Amino acid sequence: MAAAAAAAAEAKTKYDRQLRIWGDQGQAALENASICLLTCGPTGSEALKNLVLGGIGSVTVVDGSKVELSDLGNNFLLDVGCLGQSRAKSICLFLKELNDAVKAKFIEESPVSLIDTNPSFFSQFTVVVATQLPEGSLLKLDGICRKANIVLVAARSYGLTGLVRVNLKEHNVIESKPDHFLDDLRLHNPWAELKEFAKSIDINDKDPVVHKHTPYIVMLDLIRNHMLNFDEENYKEAVESSYKVSVTPGISDEICQIIDDSSAKVNSSSSDFWVLVVALKEFIANEGNGELPLEGTIPDMTSLTEYYVSLQKIYQAKAEFDCLAMEHHVKDILKRIGRDPDSISRTFIKAFCKNARKLRVCRYRSMEEFSSPVLSEVQKYFTHEDYWSVSFTLHLLINLFSFLHWKFLRSYTLTGASLVANSMCPLQM
Amino acid sequence: MASSATASEEAVKAAKVLMVGAGGIGCELLKTLALSGFRDIHIIDLDTIEVSNLNRQFLFRKCHVGQSKAHVARDAVLKFRPNINITSYHANVKDAQFNVEFFKQFNVVLNGLDNLDARRHVNRLCLAAEVPLVESGTTGFLGQVTVHVKGKTECYECQPKPVPKSYPVCTITSTPSKFVHCIVWAKDLLFAKLFGDKNQDNDLNVHSSESGSSKSNVFERNKDEDLDQYARRIYDHVFGYNIELALENEETWKNRRRPNPVYIRDALPEEDSRQNGSSHDCSNEQEEPSAMVSLGFRNPQEIWNLADNSRVLLKALRLFFEKREKEIGNLIFDKDDQLAVEFVTAAANIRASSFGIPLHSLFEAKGVAGNIVHAVATTNAIIAGLIVIEAIKVLQGDYKKYRMTYCLEHPSRKMLLMPVEPFEPNKSCYVCSETPLLLDVNTKTTKLREVIDKIIKGKLGMNLPLVMIGHTLVFEDGDGLEEDEAANYALNLEKVLAELPAPVINGTKLTVEDFQQELSCSINIKHREEFDEEKEPDGMVLSGWSAPVEKQVTSNGGASSSGAPDTDGNPEDISTKPGMKRKLDEILDSKENFDASSTSSAQVVDDDDDDDMVMLDEDPKLAKKKRLQ
Repeated sequence: MAAAAAAAAEAKTKYDRQLRIWGDQGQAALENASICLLTCGPTGSEALKNLVLGGIGSVTVVDGSKVELSDLGNNFLLDVGCLGQSRAKSICLFLKELNDAVKAKFIEESPVSLIDTNPSFFSQFTVVVATQLPEGSLLKLDGICRKANIVLVAARSYGLTGLVRVNLKEHNVIESKPDHFLDDLRLHNPWAELKEFAKSIDINDKDPVVHKHTPYIVMLDLIRNHMLNFDEENYKEAVESSYKVSVTPGISDEICQIIDDSSAKVNSSSSDFWVLVVALKEFIANEGNGELPLEGTIPDMTSLTEYYVSLQKIYQAKAEFDCLAMEHHVKDILKRIGRDPDSISRTFIKAFCKNARKLRVCRYRSMEEFSSPVLSEVQKYFTHEDYWSVSFTLHLLINLFSFLHWKFLRSYTLTGASLVANSMCPLQM
Repeated sequence: MASSATASEEAVKAAKVLMVGAGGIGCELLKTLALSGFRDIHIIDLDTIEVSNLNRQFLFRKCHVGQSKAHVARDAVLKFRPNINITSYHANVKDAQFNVEFFKQFNVVLNGLDNLDARRHVNRLCLAAEVPLVESGTTGFLGQVTVHVKGKTECYECQPKPVPKSYPVCTITSTPSKFVHCIVWAKDLLFAKLFGDKNQDNDLNVHSSESGSSKSNVFERNKDEDLDQYARRIYDHVFGYNIELALENEETWKNRRRPNPVYIRDALPEEDSRQNGSSHDCSNEQEEPSAMVSLGFRNPQEIWNLADNSRVLLKALRLFFEKREKEIGNLIFDKDDQLAVEFVTAAANIRASSFGIPLHSLFEAKGVAGNIVHAVATTNAIIAGLIVIEAIKVLQGDYKKYRMTYCLEHPSRKMLLMPVEPFEPNKSCYVCSETPLLLDVNTKTTKLREVIDKIIKGKLGMNLPLVMIGHTLVFEDGDGLEEDEAANYALNLEKVLAELPAPVINGTKLTVEDFQQELSCSINIKHREEFDEEKEPDGMVLSGWSAPVEKQVTSNGGASSSGAPDTDGNPEDISTKPGMKRKLDEILDSKENFDASSTSSAQVVDDDDDDDMVMLDEDPKLAKKKRLQ
């Protein structure tokens, strides 16, 4: 028990700098991911190194070749001692050394023949990274991965230029992290406790300190009736934030589309995401009273501490209430479709509720449908000789982290010092 | 194409390169250099390996923690490239051994540093030695690589560097309004007062109105004073009594919310002192003492309430006296010192609650207090690749193809890596041209020491300065001085400018030099009596140098190759938001046909790190102007 706590503390320290980027949830997504690498040449090794350092759950390396002299010059994961041995095995040994928390397995087989003979092999992974694979095998692999909704990252390097393609059938985003988003103050449709609190504050309080520290949420609620003295900070905040009152009430079109999507009819094979979408639908129709679950956080504002804390509590309590209601719906649905009612964690439900306004569903075309424009892009940049790059495939990792961090996917073409994103325009839903 | 490939191979094989820094960028860079065919590589790094490096500095393992980064990196790379020469120095790049002669032996210098101070130092040595410099930095998913070649491109200091945000003293001591103010107070005033050098100036009590009363010893533990009683006395003094005193000054609170004094009896009413005083705890003896662990708090991301913060504070104070008494008097806040972080978090939170500022978790507080930069392997690997590309261009003298390259978080104009042509040298740069500077100062009240600390070392980044007035040498730093000279200079330090052996008055011209950096510049003095305490807290104003324009990101902490990183001795190293976004916008703007709106994805980063640091350097406006000319 104590040992486990110590290990957890050490992991926190080790991953501190990246936790500051993607937080515990991003880290958990990484640690729960299993990845399969096809061909561990220099490109694949670079990608694996970065994933293993970050603490990815498990790695399976598929490579049928033996370490040759030519591998030593360009692959830092190999040394003279590895000569003649299985390349997959040697790489795995090194990866274990790099991060002993990561499980590393290897399969001594050519990726091309594995794709041909054992397509179901790939369904166990979260992500498949295919490097230097011939186009024919790649398209076949893309088909296999799409069927199982597994992320496929295909990388190819051509001397000093390279190409990374990312694909999967459907990508569900909970934390889409939009650049601009209004606070969920719910002023267009306040609930009983919030109304009561607003009423309890005497905006005509003669004490100047109290007057200067009435939170703007309250004032927004009252401001139409109590235009007073506008040179005070809190009143300025209220006026500047007044557009928040007029935030479009109800549910955005994007969310409506998700709720009405054909996947929002669940059965036993539905993913957790879609189970939650159905729960959301039921919540809106019942407790939600036409609204999504409340986020429950309020921004900083000029306020007396007591007022701020009371407001904070009111918002938090409402958010907890909503989340609890969602949890009931989730359990009901899971029971209905014959799954364990506790199989979706409370943390996940909480994250879903908090981000309910920001859910996104992206669907992508298959590589077969979408392969040609990329090639022409590459050719275009072959003619630019003044840029060239050494370690471009590392961008692989950015893609993967973006995915694990629940953001959108893109493909990249590396053209010397510029990396071009070929946004894989999601299909319209 | 084929011939150019051979030429570059030859250039690479023959090159002798110096890498400064073997941290996040350094590890990737050393690997890429070795794999690209470089055969003679020298590495300088002062740092030792820490656990928090292991998520990206892939040449290091857990068993290397505590060892020299430079040496371990060298050994790791020699394992897969046994036939090349790597020379490692576990040393500060500012050491005298790394003089201009030393720099001259290299064909190119590659920086993977984490702090402004060392970057400026290396820039000066490269200029003096006429060796090209490839400079780099990363923060999270952002990064940049720039090339500096004397006479061809701007030097690292041609454009203003973002300088750490500093806060007016009175905001910190009396009227905090943000959490960061409380952190600065806890770290630089309270922590320094209790555990740091007792002779250091400290503003902790300055603004309490009871002048004259010899209260200065209130922070000393009295003889035989019970440790618990002492901790509670300190608590009540700083969070209770001092706030009450401040409240007496009605003027201050006219337009501000009045803080609430917090006394221990209110924060922890249910605990009598005896209970709290139980000094034994179950924590393992050989482990690092931790107040959190002894109190059973496990999660650093949880926000403690006032009572919990008070418990942590009292406990941490006790633990310092019980377990680390020898260090008291010499402690400097260090973000890797768990107990120090706990103390500062708790103190900042108690102060925050008194001023109605939202409380923060230990994890967040540590990020603010330590200026921690987030970092991942990927960005470092990309940046290292770009450094090598530029290095090869430099080796081939291909200066028309030099590029500054920015690595973005989100594609902008469909690009993630953004190459920009380098700028010309800034003709009025005090480092690479010889333009004099202007110093506004009160010559009748300012001591030479203040000018040296705040301006010559603080702003001009000189290491071992020498100050001349006409032909009179008034100050020289460094070893090897005669005793009487040293005594004489020490006397001069404490004199006000106008009373120096060669008086400094309005119109005087100072010459300051640093022999190690081979940098010399002139400062014209302008006498001025009034300074704005808020805007000009130094009491003097330097102009004509690249003045800081933006709030910033500093780097900090571990400090790869410079011994004096922007550690935590003063409030100035706290940073909030850097100018990344605006800068990129401007640069992109200055390129034709640029869709500026597409750059909104270039995000701003908030803090820093120990190992690999970017920063965003040149003033975008200046840059823009020059390019358009």
